[in-house]
Amino acid sequence: MKLDIELLLDKYYEGETSVEEEKELKRFFQNEDIPDHLKSHAAQFGYFVEARNEFPSLLFHSDLAAKLDPPKQGPVRAFGSWLIRIAAGFTLLIIGFIGGWMFQDRSDQAGNALFKNSKEAASQNEIKNALAFEKMSSTSASERIQAVNQSYELSDVDKDITQLLINTLNFDPNINVRLAACQALQRFGNEPNVSEALVQSLAIQTDPNIQISLIEVLVSIKEKRAVAPFQQLVRDQEVMEVVRLKAEEGVNQLTAADA
Amino acid sequence: MDLQAFNQRILPVQGRLFRLAQLFLRNREEAEDAIQDVLLRLWTNRNQLETYQSIEALAVQMTKNLCLDRLKSHHNQKVQDGADVSSVQAEGLSPHRQLENADSSALIHRLMGELPEQQKLVMHLRDVEEYSFDEIEQVTGLSNANIRVILSRARQKLRENYLKANDYETGY
Repeated sequence: MKLDIELLLDKYYEGETSVEEEKELKRFFQNEDIPDHLKSHAAQFGYFVEARNEFPSLLFHSDLAAKLDPPKQGPVRAFGSWLIRIAAGFTLLIIGFIGGWMFQDRSDQAGNALFKNSKEAASQNEIKNALAFEKMSSTSASERIQAVNQSYELSDVDKDITQLLINTLNFDPNINVRLAACQALQRFGNEPNVSEALVQSLAIQTDPNIQISLIEVLVSIKEKRAVAPFQQLVRDQEVMEVVRLKAEEGVNQLTAADA
Repeated sequence: MDLQAFNQRILPVQGRLFRLAQLFLRNREEAEDAIQDVLLRLWTNRNQLETYQSIEALAVQMTKNLCLDRLKSHHNQKVQDGADVSSVQAEGLSPHRQLENADSSALIHRLMGELPEQQKLVMHLRDVEEYSFDEIEQVTGLSNANIRVILSRARQKLRENYLKANDYETGY
């Protein structure tokens, strides 16, 4: 046994021992009873065995586990959440915009149409009321002028309104109201009944202001049928000089445009 | 390779890596730090691990290189000299022997640290970790005969130094 150990030791220092033989040496030097002359070898084998029992601390294991886990999903998660955050922000923003836009649009469409319709209907009624022939005595001239001016705000006008304006032009006691009606009718000059009424009205009107504005309106809408009444005005000595000149001018313009 | 497979294959090795790192760095905290670094590197490269013959050899090699790098970069940094080796206890021995062993173990530990790096590494792998020559060859890249020579020299040198130190101590 002792001899074996000494042989093994020699082999050991030559680097010729196998792992098994080295294990045997370690076992031998772990024993209590080591011959004195071999004791000096014990230290290193003792160290080899002891050193083998060295392990990283428990804290290290938990530390490592904590470090291994986050790196696994850490970057992915961080990247994902970073993207998701921005995406979520944009989505919210877009939803907000779309929502607001749709809401506004809908309420605009519904509300506007309703509002417009009702407003127009209301103002039409107002005009009709104010200009109604029967009520002429109860309304003031300024109210009637206002009603006539309201017709400018109407987008489409039915015959009732134009007829009402023609009546006002022909029969309103106040010259200013007639004048306003005359100017208001200029907008509807394209309608046949309006242009005819304007031509007829020329024979009725006696006020030079209205005569002049009628002539202007008729010239501006290029109403050919107005030539005969114009010439009548020119010949009529009771009509003011200015009006006669204006009528003559109108005749010239209309015939010139014709030629 | 998922975390579980990684734990199964790498974690049994980490004791070895730790001891190796401790051998070079001579400090518990630094050794732990170093092998943590190695294990994290292995983990981040886990997809390429399958292509290696032996993950253990790779890990040991990485640990060795990392430790040498650290030693170079921390050249002037004073390291503690195995401060906690004495806390290791061999079982079943009388307190007197324990004390004696602890003393001589600490001495051996210090003496091993003084050996040239290659001798230190080969001797550690062989005598502490009980690697076969083939395994040492894989880790160090040295030839079989070369390893034997280095090992033999290291063992004799250690013995020599130990006896010298012991005589020196007992002489006073």
